[in-house]
Amino acid sequence: MEHNIFSLIGENLQEFFKFTGFANATVGHLIMIPIGLLFIYLAIKKDWEPMLLVPIGFGIVIGNIPLFPGLNVGVYEEGSVLNILYQGVQKGWYPPLIFLGIGAMTDFSALISNPKLMLIGAAAQFGIFGAYAIALAIGFSPAEAGAIGIIGGADGPTAIFLSSRLAPDLMGAIAVSAYSYMALVPVIQPPIMRLLTTHKERVMKMRPPRAVSQTEKKLFPIIGFLLTAFIVPSGLPLLGMLFFGNLLKESGVTRRLAETARGPLIDVITILIGVTVGCSTQADKFLQWSSVKIFILGAGSFVIATTAGVLFVKFFNLFLKEGNKINPLIGNAGVSAVPDSARVSNNVGLEYDNRNYLLMHAMGPNVAGVIGSAVAAGILLGFLS
Amino acid sequence: MKKALKIFFLLGVLCSAVSLQAQNMGDMRLNEILVTNTDDFEDDFGHKNGWIELFNTSYGTVDIAGCYLTDDPGNLKKYMIPKGDILTKIKPRQHILFWADNQPFRGTFHINFDLANADEILFVSSDGRTVIDRIKVPADMPENISYGRTDDGIGAHDGSAEGWQTMERTSPSTNNTDMYGESKAARLEKADPYGALMAFTAMSVVFLALILLYLIFKNVGNYSIRKSKQRESRATGTPVSSAKVSAAGSSSHEPSAEVYAAIATAMHLYREDSETHDIENTILTIHKVSKSYSPWSSKIYTLRETPQLKRK
Repeated sequence: MEHNIFSLIGENLQEFFKFTGFANATVGHLIMIPIGLLFIYLAIKKDWEPMLLVPIGFGIVIGNIPLFPGLNVGVYEEGSVLNILYQGVQKGWYPPLIFLGIGAMTDFSALISNPKLMLIGAAAQFGIFGAYAIALAIGFSPAEAGAIGIIGGADGPTAIFLSSRLAPDLMGAIAVSAYSYMALVPVIQPPIMRLLTTHKERVMKMRPPRAVSQTEKKLFPIIGFLLTAFIVPSGLPLLGMLFFGNLLKESGVTRRLAETARGPLIDVITILIGVTVGCSTQADKFLQWSSVKIFILGAGSFVIATTAGVLFVKFFNLFLKEGNKINPLIGNAGVSAVPDSARVSNNVGLEYDNRNYLLMHAMGPNVAGVIGSAVAAGILLGFLS
Repeated sequence: MKKALKIFFLLGVLCSAVSLQAQNMGDMRLNEILVTNTDDFEDDFGHKNGWIELFNTSYGTVDIAGCYLTDDPGNLKKYMIPKGDILTKIKPRQHILFWADNQPFRGTFHINFDLANADEILFVSSDGRTVIDRIKVPADMPENISYGRTDDGIGAHDGSAEGWQTMERTSPSTNNTDMYGESKAARLEKADPYGALMAFTAMSVVFLALILLYLIFKNVGNYSIRKSKQRESRATGTPVSSAKVSAAGSSSHEPSAEVYAAIATAMHLYREDSETHDIENTILTIHKVSKSYSPWSSKIYTLRETPQLKRK
């Protein structure tokens, strides 16, 4: 009798063991969990985009806990809690909500006061199409290449939105790649900026931006939306929400709505998008050669975008009068990692002249980059979906 | 009160527009018909009959329950599509097939007339009056040859044959055009294997959008500067031409934003030096006030009176 009880307990424990993570762990899980922990480390210790890397890093850890199949808890198991939260990524409705918040927190004054900076935001989108061409050359389909290329737009929500439509299978790798390189902007961009500029160009002083009237600020989201949405209607969810958020901010009569959009709403969505994108990097889906290629292409697209931005400013300066010229160090800010790439412009500028503050000027191309990448996403969606 | 009424009116208009959109039967089209079926597809009962195919041209689900199919313009309510069948909800860009076998008791999708003598087929809205789509059946249609729209849902809906043709093969409940044709992306891949065309086109569009925005805001900015100059000259009484605008957009005698920033910083530092500022900059700290007694925190006032038992 006693023997039977012990054997029963033993059998139960053995059965229970089958359900534990220890029994179901694979090499893939053991690789992905440290990657998640590395993200958390970089966020906490190095302060690299902590708002993004902490949720994504922890999401990677959550998504790579080895599971006994059929428990209905995994992110890819239909109806599970994580799967329901993941719908916002899959169906693409988290990114427009993030854009609403971005619009409500963005001050377009720098751009309005010096509208020619918009063209730098357009030039930096070369990164998207450079990466698109390379991705095609190494064997990705046009839809996949478009989704990978958008990493060069340096806009996490846009990358998620586009990849959820063009290449859902690659979304995890694309999103993690986009956010990782956004965090690495201070590492990637400065060497390229130094390489492509002369000392004289780096210390170039720019004219201070003029004061922008409230009417101009109110008109910007309305005109900006009508124009861009008519040209690229497929970018409607992103452009509509971006400019709507900005109108909430600038209208002056919807302060509470603007505060909600740029505060609690964007925080909630950032948490959900970060964790669920992290979860989606489940080892069996993520650890593939295509992910490695995506990471390499992502780095390439950032390099191309930065190069294109800086070189475009130098080219543009050929046509500008003395006194109106633009410091090429703000060319990198067309990569729309707001406000990191603008901060990089400022920091590199200060290295060479500690009184040359470029932040306000760099914010112009930076926010133009957000518009440019949303427009580019709309074009890719229109061509490739 | 008037404001509230206006809001309710707007909401009412909005809601009615939304509900109209949700029930948009007008997006349904007659898409293909087969008059005589002797050697084509069979229905679920194993019979070969003519059929009528409808197509939902919209990108939303349309419920066609309560609508009518007829071959008689004088009797628009000949066959009412039954209500309560979940299958009458047609998904976006999908087809639905009605067997014209004159056997309505076989189910929702078996209508009460056949097409042997039909001159015209009409699809009528649930109001029984509005004809949504109609098509004249060509005379002497050969057996097992269908008549349909060249491209799903495209063409006339007033009875004329625009967009209709005799089909090479029947395609009940599926696309009339070759559904295995090349996708847009596949065509692009063939035409532009290196992505150069795509890059050029897309970058041109991005530049176009931002150049237009630049031009608009350049003019808006110039207008704004001119207006502020005019306002300023009115306030100071100087003529507009003499109030020269500086690069920063303000008049030359007005201090620039940088000057204001420098003054603000100097004042801030002065206040900091003179110790009027708190230790932690920009953080409001609440110092604890040590007071041993306050009626607000006194428990005496918050307690009930102790009940006392009175005995005689």
